[in-house]
Amino acid sequence: MAGPLPEGRFPLSWFPSGPLGALLEVRGLTMRFGGLTALAGVDLDVGEGELVGLIGPNGAGKSTLLDCLTRRCSPQEGSMRLGGQELGGLPPHQVAGYGIARTFQNAALFPGLSVRENVMVGAHRHGRAGFWGAALGRTAAEERGLGEQADALLETFGLSAYADHPPTALPYGLTKRIEIARALAAGPRLLLLDEPAGGLAPGEVPAFAQLIARLHRERGLTIIVVEHHMEFVLALCRRIVCLELGHKIADGPAQAVRNDPAVISACLGVVR
Amino acid sequence: MNAVAAGHRRLPVGHEAGDRRPDWPWRRTSLALVASAAVVLPFTLPPYRLFQLTLVLVYTVALLGLDLVVGRSGRLSLGHGAFFGVGAYTSAVLIAQFGVPYPLTMPAAALATFGLGWAAGRPALRLRGLYLAMVTFAVAVVLPPLLKRLAGLTGGAMGLTVPAPEGLLGLDDDQWVYFLVLMVTAAAFAGMRGLAGSRPGRALTALREHPAAAETLGIRAATHMTAAFAWSAMYAGVAGALYTWTAGFVSPDSFTLALSITLLAGVVIGGLGTLAGPVLGAFAVLAVPAVAQEFDPAAPGIVSGLLLLLIVYVAPAGLAGLLRRTLWGLLRRRA
Ligand SMILES: Nc1ncnc2c1ncn2[C@@H]1O[C@H](COP(=O)(O)OP(=O)(O)OP(=O)(O)O)[C@@H](O)[C@H]1O
Ligand SMILES: [Mg+2]
Repeated sequence: MAGPLPEGRFPLSWFPSGPLGALLEVRGLTMRFGGLTALAGVDLDVGEGELVGLIGPNGAGKSTLLDCLTRRCSPQEGSMRLGGQELGGLPPHQVAGYGIARTFQNAALFPGLSVRENVMVGAHRHGRAGFWGAALGRTAAEERGLGEQADALLETFGLSAYADHPPTALPYGLTKRIEIARALAAGPRLLLLDEPAGGLAPGEVPAFAQLIARLHRERGLTIIVVEHHMEFVLALCRRIVCLELGHKIADGPAQAVRNDPAVISACLGVVR
Repeated sequence: MNAVAAGHRRLPVGHEAGDRRPDWPWRRTSLALVASAAVVLPFTLPPYRLFQLTLVLVYTVALLGLDLVVGRSGRLSLGHGAFFGVGAYTSAVLIAQFGVPYPLTMPAAALATFGLGWAAGRPALRLRGLYLAMVTFAVAVVLPPLLKRLAGLTGGAMGLTVPAPEGLLGLDDDQWVYFLVLMVTAAAFAGMRGLAGSRPGRALTALREHPAAAETLGIRAATHMTAAFAWSAMYAGVAGALYTWTAGFVSPDSFTLALSITLLAGVVIGGLGTLAGPVLGAFAVLAVPAVAQEFDPAAPGIVSGLLLLLIVYVAPAGLAGLLRRTLWGLLRRRA
């Protein structure tokens, strides 16, 4: 288990296919829904500290890959290892404990909780308070700790002003940020972002890419980002993986993948 | 990052944002008002009114519990009338048959209903959806005939009479019972407030509103839901014990499915997922019919039915939501 990258070292993403001990190793992953094969024997290695863009046309299986990694789907074949530990067979609620956090393609915030509380739910696994402790009012110290951690994250994301508001009334771009803050509160090693820029106004996209780049740089996180926005992926990722109909059709340095004829024909209309 | 610059504009909290968080202006003031009223009233009310008020407190405890399942976890229980009955009978049997002192029967009722809630909730909650409603429905249907059958212990269909506790500190019996019940209600309220505002309460809300996201963040659905259901049943059981102290008499026909449905109506009328809701709901389901009764024997049913319809159509957030909206409205007009 390697921790965050020490400062000043080269991020491993400079070596695109990461021969140096991958954090995530996916082998022959196959996921079928009835007769439909959403993933067909996908292999993927992601090194510690890499920032990988995952692209592909609609229905390519990108979200399904994230669902398999977070155990919302049980693939029929293949293996998934994180830091050498097999993820297959885990119940979904244990995935966070292995260091995986994600955001969802559609907004997945909890509307009945304030923005701060949403982020505090992200830190659920770092808390201890159970029903008895909470009912007897023995949670003040823990609540303060979780609250301070949440406030620090909100500050990073420029969300402090909204801490006490319900997330429902906020602009879409902000809800995407809250979701990332919530995922980070879980303290992941591997962060999976499912179309984080989807639905953003074009003007917001570059700033959002900068935000994710900063997270990657400052926290030494390993990130897989699923995205349709080609400029967004190109600006952000040195390595891009492309899926089409459940097959991996390209994997390599961003510019090479972008100019790959197979990718261009698969993502026609997406790659501009 | 333009949106952040605009961030200093305070967005509306409460009614306009449509949130259901227990945001309440003048929280301390309202709590102090309610507390002083609760202490003064028993010395000014006639005995039968005091009895009704005590029952409102008893129902408040049961509704606080039921709301943990219905309001906060988003599941349906048709069995809380039965848990209430189990608590009531536990207390009554211990007092009448075994001479156990009043206060000791409450933990016994709590323990019994907690265990029962755990046992009923554990398998049903894993199956999700309407299964919990079915299992709790079964509990509600089984209890009254079972109580009649175990006549040796429960007094059968005739019920069981419990001697009134001796009033202490120069208080009448009913004033003494009122204060006992008030203390338990206050503790139950404080407990639910602690639950709602910390890790387990947030986890329940998260599981209700987006189960997939909640699980991915490490929240274990089965554990939290079962614990919530067991706690909820325990609150109903404690309320049942308080009922025995208050009414001094229990009979199987007091704890039928009708009671479960009345309690459900109570949490909906009061306002789901709020702390004020159970208090207001208890008033609504007890005081409204009682007052209506004094005008016309047919009035309670009609008035209660109309109230329920009115709430569902006009104030889906219940009386608590309505009151909060009104208070915020006043506050904004003043500002
Ligand atoms: N739970 C499910 N049951 C049945 N089919 C599913 C399920 N989830 C996904 N699929 C199917 O699997 C295929 C891959 O879907 P997936 O959501 O992974 O695509 P995607 O690459 O994320 O596409 P998009 O860019 O539209 O989000 C699609 O054909 C989809 O209909
Ligand atoms: Mg998708």
